[in-house]
Amino acid sequence: MKRTLIVVFGFAIAGTGIFYVLSMPDPLTADQLPAVSADLANGELMFWAGGCRSCHAAPGAEDNELTLSGGMELPTPFGTFRSPNISPDPDAGIGRWSTLEFINAMVRGLSPQLEHYYPAFPYPHYQNMTFGDLIDLKGYLDTLPGSSNRVAEHALAFPYSLRRGIGLWKWRYLSRNAVVQTSAPSAEVERGRYLVNGAGHCGACHTPRDEYGGDMPDRFLSGAEAIEIAEGPDGQSVGRIPNITPHPDGIGAWSEKDIEYSLESGFDPDFDSFGGTMVEVQENMARLPAADRAAIAAYLKSIPALPSDSP
Amino acid sequence: MKKLVILTLAGAALGATTLATFAQDEAPFQNQIEARQSFMHIYRFNLGQLGAMAKGEAPYDAAEASAAATNLLAASKMNNRAMWPAGSDMSADGLEGVTWAKPELWSNMSEVGEKSRELTAALVAMAAVAGDGLGAVQSNMGAVADGCKGCHEPFRASKD
Repeated sequence: MKRTLIVVFGFAIAGTGIFYVLSMPDPLTADQLPAVSADLANGELMFWAGGCRSCHAAPGAEDNELTLSGGMELPTPFGTFRSPNISPDPDAGIGRWSTLEFINAMVRGLSPQLEHYYPAFPYPHYQNMTFGDLIDLKGYLDTLPGSSNRVAEHALAFPYSLRRGIGLWKWRYLSRNAVVQTSAPSAEVERGRYLVNGAGHCGACHTPRDEYGGDMPDRFLSGAEAIEIAEGPDGQSVGRIPNITPHPDGIGAWSEKDIEYSLESGFDPDFDSFGGTMVEVQENMARLPAADRAAIAAYLKSIPALPSDSP
Repeated sequence: MKKLVILTLAGAALGATTLATFAQDEAPFQNQIEARQSFMHIYRFNLGQLGAMAKGEAPYDAAEASAAATNLLAASKMNNRAMWPAGSDMSADGLEGVTWAKPELWSNMSEVGEKSRELTAALVAMAAVAGDGLGAVQSNMGAVADGCKGCHEPFRASKD
């Protein structure tokens, strides 16, 4: 009996220890960053490629899209996430953050206090951005208007409400996050791959997620149930996010020119307009240089063609 | 003669009503949903005429561009209210995968009206200049897209 107790107790200690180690934050340090000053024009390009304002501008603030006061609600099966204020306000926003703290948020999903962020904030994608582009983006964000808006905490169900557990999630998912490599890519395809898998975070909606919200890399961009659920008693889904691989279920019939033009104009090849959440994404993409939209199109034509319901 | 016309019209109306009733028996609101989707197809078809030119896939033709823009303007002025009966949204039984119209559309009818007037305004501008050259068509496509997205962003669910 005594021996059993010791064994159980030992396992509990070991389990706690393993949890503690695996869920530990893993921040970058200042010496890992290049000592360069921010290129604001490139920072602005990254801002539009990332679509920061689509989640962080105040809801419904179309005339005020550069004031990133936060507060957008994202109802999901795990609970309701609320986008934070990332304006340069020193108290309510991120005005006091150092460049290192900003980069740790973007690539390691860590707050300045080294708490884990929930991956509703798409750092599994942003981790693919270069330090140079992130330094530029931070420089650009610093030039935007401040807002003193205070955003309420996320409202999540247990056990998702325990932040420390996200460390385990990162251990399982962060390193394997899909970045599909194509064989012998041109410089244009490489640029598209970088934009799609980095700032653009296309997979955050277009790649299906497993039961813990991790991207399924073997179903890269093949369409997904919208993670967002409509508010209301029946919790009805807001629809299906399309397959954007070159499969007939996806956009196999679209030419590169069609993809490029759709991101520029908002019209698909049948001249239906984009709808739903893709409208803002398209309007962000329309602000990129034409060569970047062409690069995205070239990359999307080069990825594996997957049916919408592959296992 | 006049009597014959009246009789014929009455017969046609009766026939149409009967057909509509049969159609409704097949699926809820099938007739109205088919009508509004066909109505959207008219938009897409004419936008495709302009868009092929704007995109550089078809040579610019002033008469064709003008005709397409005029059709779009006429469509936007058509009263299509009866195609959107209450309850014919995607959450209704049997309508998932048939329509992508979100229930919110019916609780925001004044916004729908406002957006529809914005689309008409964009098409008035397009129709006025579509015959003046490719540049005029290209520079007005964005405002027309905004007109479409005005309703598609808030009121239409994503679909495969």
